[in-house]
Amino acid sequence: MGPLIPNGVIPAEWDSIIAILIGIAFGFVLEASGFSSSRKLAGQFYGYDFAVLKVFFTAALVSVIGVYYMDYLGYLDVTQLYVHPFYLWGAIIGGIIMGVGFVAAGFCPGTSLCAVAIGKIDAIVYVGGIMVGVFIFSEMYTIFEPIYNGYFYGNVTLEDSLGINPYWFVFIFSMIAIVAFIAADMVRKRVKKVFY
Amino acid sequence: MVKKKIAKVLAFRYTILAVILILLAGGLVLLPKYQKHEGIKPEELLSNTISSERYMTTDRLAHILINQDPSFILIDVRDEKSFVNYTLPNAINIPLKNLFNEENIGYLNQNQYDVVLFSNDHFYADQAWILCNRLGYKNMRVLKGGINEWYATIINPLKPADNMPATDFDLYATRKAASMFFGVVYPEQFKVEAPKIVKEAPKKVITIEKKKKAPAEGGC
Repeated sequence: MGPLIPNGVIPAEWDSIIAILIGIAFGFVLEASGFSSSRKLAGQFYGYDFAVLKVFFTAALVSVIGVYYMDYLGYLDVTQLYVHPFYLWGAIIGGIIMGVGFVAAGFCPGTSLCAVAIGKIDAIVYVGGIMVGVFIFSEMYTIFEPIYNGYFYGNVTLEDSLGINPYWFVFIFSMIAIVAFIAADMVRKRVKKVFY
Repeated sequence: MVKKKIAKVLAFRYTILAVILILLAGGLVLLPKYQKHEGIKPEELLSNTISSERYMTTDRLAHILINQDPSFILIDVRDEKSFVNYTLPNAINIPLKNLFNEENIGYLNQNQYDVVLFSNDHFYADQAWILCNRLGYKNMRVLKGGINEWYATIINPLKPADNMPATDFDLYATRKAASMFFGVVYPEQFKVEAPKIVKEAPKKVITIEKKKKAPAEGGC
């Protein structure tokens, strides 16, 4: 039966509308759980608030477990899902830039737009910075292109590249997540409380 | 009292959630695995099988062959002996038992051509079609009635009786023309025109009167 759009259960023309609805819901949840505050996001790196780690790890876990149960029961075909293409050096360099930006400004691109929506000035500056970065990248595209399009390893998953049984991987992944949650709590209790 | 109890339970809320997650993830590992079938679902196969969309009439095929439509591949699923004996023009021989040999998959599993399967009747071709359909191959057709029907309608069309509608006569004319294309010769094509009997003009007898010898005159 699923995925719904590729299998024609929902016509493909609806995907933009669905994307807008999901986007609104995502933005609402981000803002409602306080992710539009750069202090909360930065708390992750200073050890006084691990909400980001917990929320995103839990989201990944719930969805991966749900997807594999639905695949098992025949409601969803995992092989038809979109797998993100893997550009090795593009991912490494992009990850570093994104990480530095995250620590320095206290936003990731999604939460920065959330924060712009509620009128945070630092977020507006941050989004301006994103635009400048996009502009520089576009203008110098010919220089970056070999990295941008090179080192392409296909749409691989861990299952393909490491040959792990996905069910065991989900189990190990959830154990890691729970250990990370406990460790995060222990760190938070030791760090001096910051009021923000 | 109730509030206190709830608070007691809620104090462990994170532990409870963690246990639920581990149980669910562990359940994935422990679930009995089953073989997933490649190809389309059984329900889909069934609905495709009972639909007669796959059949192509011999008239349509004749039309395609005469117009030399390049988007069709004809596949004869009978054995090689029958293939050598007689087959349709430009057909490829893939006997049913060799259907999924590696060199034949290229003809079957593709998106560019329409594949028309045929056999003597359509039963073997139908078997081949079901196997291919099961694997999700696209654009597969079956020649309805197979070569027998081809012979009965195109090569040797039945002349309609006098009291049949005009459409039957049109169809007959079309089929007859098609059969001529495929090399059938009709007696009327060779109707020898009755030799014209050229009436020879009666010979005019022109009598030439012999000049009468003039009687000797005079004399001695």
